[in-house]
Amino acid sequence: MDSELAEVRALEAEIAVLRPACEEPPAPGGDAASVRKSFPEIYQSDSEGWESSKDLRSNLGHLESELLFLSTLTGISIRNYSKKTETLTSPEMAEKSIKKVLQRHRLSGTCHMISFQLEFQILEVQNKENLSSVITDLNIIMEPTTTYSELSEFVSRAEERRDLFMFFRSLHFFVEWCEYRKRTFKHFKEFDPLEDLERHVTWFELVIVWRIQTDEEGKVVPKLDLLTKVPRQALELDKKGVVETAAVGFRALLSVLGIEAALESLLSVLCMEHGGQSPQ
Amino acid sequence: TARTLVPGLSVLAHLEKLETQVNRSRKKLEEPQGAQAVESSLGTKIRDKLRSEVKQRQARVAVRDTSVEPDQTLEISEQKAWERKRENVKAILQAYRFTGLSGKLTSRGVCVCIHTAFEGTLLDSYFVDLVIQKPLRIHHHSIPAFIPLEEISAKYLQTNIQHFLFSLCEYLNAYAGRKYQADQLQRDFAAFLAGPLQRNSLCNVLSFTYKVELRGQAFTFCARLLYKDLTVTLPTDVTVTHQGMDTLPTSWEEQRASHENLFCTKALHKVFASFTQREKLDMSLVH
Repeated sequence: MDSELAEVRALEAEIAVLRPACEEPPAPGGDAASVRKSFPEIYQSDSEGWESSKDLRSNLGHLESELLFLSTLTGISIRNYSKKTETLTSPEMAEKSIKKVLQRHRLSGTCHMISFQLEFQILEVQNKENLSSVITDLNIIMEPTTTYSELSEFVSRAEERRDLFMFFRSLHFFVEWCEYRKRTFKHFKEFDPLEDLERHVTWFELVIVWRIQTDEEGKVVPKLDLLTKVPRQALELDKKGVVETAAVGFRALLSVLGIEAALESLLSVLCMEHGGQSPQ
Repeated sequence: TARTLVPGLSVLAHLEKLETQVNRSRKKLEEPQGAQAVESSLGTKIRDKLRSEVKQRQARVAVRDTSVEPDQTLEISEQKAWERKRENVKAILQAYRFTGLSGKLTSRGVCVCIHTAFEGTLLDSYFVDLVIQKPLRIHHHSIPAFIPLEEISAKYLQTNIQHFLFSLCEYLNAYAGRKYQADQLQRDFAAFLAGPLQRNSLCNVLSFTYKVELRGQAFTFCARLLYKDLTVTLPTDVTVTHQGMDTLPTSWEEQRASHENLFCTKALHKVFASFTQREKLDMSLVH
């Protein structure tokens, strides 16, 4: 009886020793500990442990669909991202309990037909009172540069100001206007008034120049201008000075009717003059 | 027992079951002999189970560190590849915050975060919780009341959600930028101000009195900055007037005019930084 009791006690003791070895290790704290005001922690890390590959793949699938959703929602598709962190310390800083962290980020992706590559640095300074994050360097490479020469304008401005968000805002609106311009031209191209005009003597050429510009604040503005190429003879015949005022008149039309309607009106006038059809 | 995500837990759960059994048996059995027999057999079971679990863990750790068997290596490297891919996707999701717009899927739809900054300094973030239904609607948000959210939603939310989001970005970033400039002025250049800085919640109407010293003379100016366009960080209208009974000498009239121009073209705190620099230069020339 005593021996059995002793055996039970021995077993209990052994169990007490083995038990902790089977418990899960505490989850590591990691970088996620710093929750910053500017970037609220909207992501929760998954539980540590030996996951089955099925769980892993389903989790990955869920994350990938979230990524696809975000890229559709914003119109910006990030393909690659990497970051390096460097903690800068000095005894003076440690004394005043100031912590400085330099982050180097590399980001690349596309926004419709435009692809971008960014490299930027963020300096995080934490002192007793608050945490500040400042972009200390910004480098932007865009493609294609030849098709969209207007891009270089706002790229250099964004780099100068280290204004990362302005860059993406302007990029979005720029692309939106480009798409609109393409659609509008396509719409009018389907109806080609020149076919009719060429039957008569080509008296003059009208060129519509549509530029998409960005201003100081990074706002994207379309700028349309009507250029006329008129032979001198025609100018001499133009007693009312219609050609001279054409450009100004067109701009006025733009401000009143908007781009599409203004273009339509212009083309209808041309066609009616030459007995052709007006665009739909 | 099936392998779950956290194997240790399943073993512990099993342990607890065994232990309750032991306790139950202890209470049930009258005969001390019988009880101890049951105890010892269950105890043995528990101990053996634990021993095997510890052994397995040690084996797993060894495999993880030095993949010896080729089959296991393939499994592990495949696993590692999937893990790496997952970490990559997670990182990209986090990186969206650098575009100024980030989001997280919710059960109702999506919660979009709008981040603001001014000339490199990262500022506050706001969120809009969207319910994905027909029609699309805002469940709740943290956009301040003076930002015309209803107006922007009415125009774009149903027809062009990207435009809606980026338009909000414009308004919020512009507001954050104006606020930042006003805050910086109050914080770093209070010495110049002759009275409190007056501002509205939108920070698009600013009024302040400041004194400028040059070549031994000092004058007080009153500035009024209006930002009629809510998507800009530079004022659309600036008036600088002289405060005082005496008339302004010509050179100072030029100063006043140049200040008006400065406030229109430079960030508010940068204008005052240039005043500081000029005063320093002035002092160095005098001495």
